[in-house]
Amino acid sequence: MLLNFDRLGWWKLVLIGITLATTAFLLLPILFIAALSFGSSQWLIFPPPGWTFKWYQELLADPRWLLSAWTSFQIAIIVTVLSVLLGLVTSFGLTRGRFPFREGLKALFLTPMILPVVVLAVALYAFFLQIGLNGTLTGFVISHLVLALPFSILSISSALEGFDKSVEDAAVLCGASPLEAKIRVTLPAISHGIFSAAIFSFLTSWDEVVVAIFMASPTLQTLPVKIWATLRQDLTPVVAAASTLLILLTVLLMLLVAVIRKGLKS
Amino acid sequence: MVAQTETERARHYAPVRARRPTDFDLTLPALGLLGLFFVLPVAILLTRSVTEPVPGLGNYAELLGSSTYLQVFANTFIVSGLVTFVSLLIGFPVAWALAIMPNRFASVVFAILLLSMWTNLLARTYAWMVLLQRTGVINKMLIGMGLIDQPLPLVNNLTGVTIGMTYIMLPFIILPLYGVIRKIDPAILQAAALCGASRWQSLVRVLLPLAMPGMAAGALMVFVMSLGYFVTPALLGGTANMMLAELIAQFVQSLVNWGMGGAAALVLLIVTLALYAVQLRFFGTDRMGGR
Repeated sequence: MLLNFDRLGWWKLVLIGITLATTAFLLLPILFIAALSFGSSQWLIFPPPGWTFKWYQELLADPRWLLSAWTSFQIAIIVTVLSVLLGLVTSFGLTRGRFPFREGLKALFLTPMILPVVVLAVALYAFFLQIGLNGTLTGFVISHLVLALPFSILSISSALEGFDKSVEDAAVLCGASPLEAKIRVTLPAISHGIFSAAIFSFLTSWDEVVVAIFMASPTLQTLPVKIWATLRQDLTPVVAAASTLLILLTVLLMLLVAVIRKGLKS
Repeated sequence: MVAQTETERARHYAPVRARRPTDFDLTLPALGLLGLFFVLPVAILLTRSVTEPVPGLGNYAELLGSSTYLQVFANTFIVSGLVTFVSLLIGFPVAWALAIMPNRFASVVFAILLLSMWTNLLARTYAWMVLLQRTGVINKMLIGMGLIDQPLPLVNNLTGVTIGMTYIMLPFIILPLYGVIRKIDPAILQAAALCGASRWQSLVRVLLPLAMPGMAAGALMVFVMSLGYFVTPALLGGTANMMLAELIAQFVQSLVNWGMGGAAALVLLIVTLALYAVQLRFFGTDRMGGR
């Protein structure tokens, strides 16, 4: 009875109430920031006394904001490409391989996902100080790649596990080379996993703060680092504008994932 | 000679599956990346905790012997415990509702859960900094409703961190709980009802015990994730309730004390890994990824 929605009686109302309240709790702060980014008050008063685009103008007129956004974008794109390529190769090895300690290896590849990021951040900071990679694009890319790769391996491996390998073997029997069979038969079949890997890798790098705080130099910083540094000084509505653009990007990417999944199902 | 040609011929005509030994080689690039830029740096950092400034366990003695640092450990556990408790309290009914809701209803809630999970962490934390400030919406609402006269201090203290962290952790507890509750066979509850159990009895004596492994696993995961959080506690908490991750950052960035930074990092690492070991031992390998 407790797992049947229609027969739950007034408990149903309580459950719906809590769920709606929680959903509002999760959604409202995001909408609130979006609303405030168009508010005319410097002091982030809600409801705002008037509406304006001036925070966006201020944001887009400041070369430091633009530069940090461009840096973030460059890093995220490079990380996405590398993470998908590396994720593909690794997933093929992990899913198809029958070597010993395969499970242990898989666990090792996923550890960056579960360890406290601050430990990795501090460790890489020390290491990069010694080999001169701090404050460089390469340093950012390497550290974000370590964090993004687990998501990539997870998405692509699960797609590969769901793929019937005999189809690929059939292509080889029909005269395709093993590589050709992989590219023309297997890759299209697991493309949803590859897309998810790409989007999650992009978002992991694009949104990453903790490692980036340590990697950044006065001349090279990502957008989250710029937001972090600004927030430590004051709660300016310019951050609300920047946050709204970030939220918008997330919404678009999530919609893209949903569309891809839906397209694959039908 | 003959034997060699035999093997060569065998290799040539062997089915495609015989190429297995090379599969391990495919994992080598990723293994190299992680070895060089994950395992090695962490190992070096941890080594420095026993070699700097002088070889020995001095850093650990200082870390575990000073009341200031012990307070940080206590804060870390208090905040993580509170966040876990509140998340579980809110998360269980939501997961339960999701498991039994009509699909269309549930998919909207899921979309919002995932959206919030993937929305920039700083944007979400910033939202709470604004909402909870003295002149923020929440204080104004409470004053407007006549519940309080003076604005409450909601930010830069334990209240602020707990609200902000719970906000971030909720999806991480709801999703695994949903998975567990959905797998429970409704027939079991029907049987309980047929045997004369009231709804309350079915909840407390049947549904809750059946969902317990999922609740424990989810709670453990939220607890572990909270232990190592840096950004949200740093922005929403005050100086009086600093957490471990912030202490590590401070040792390294402001104090340039690698020995102490490494020691604090090792403590965090050991607690994290120990709790994950507990999770693996008792709840299997099922877990969700988080940032």
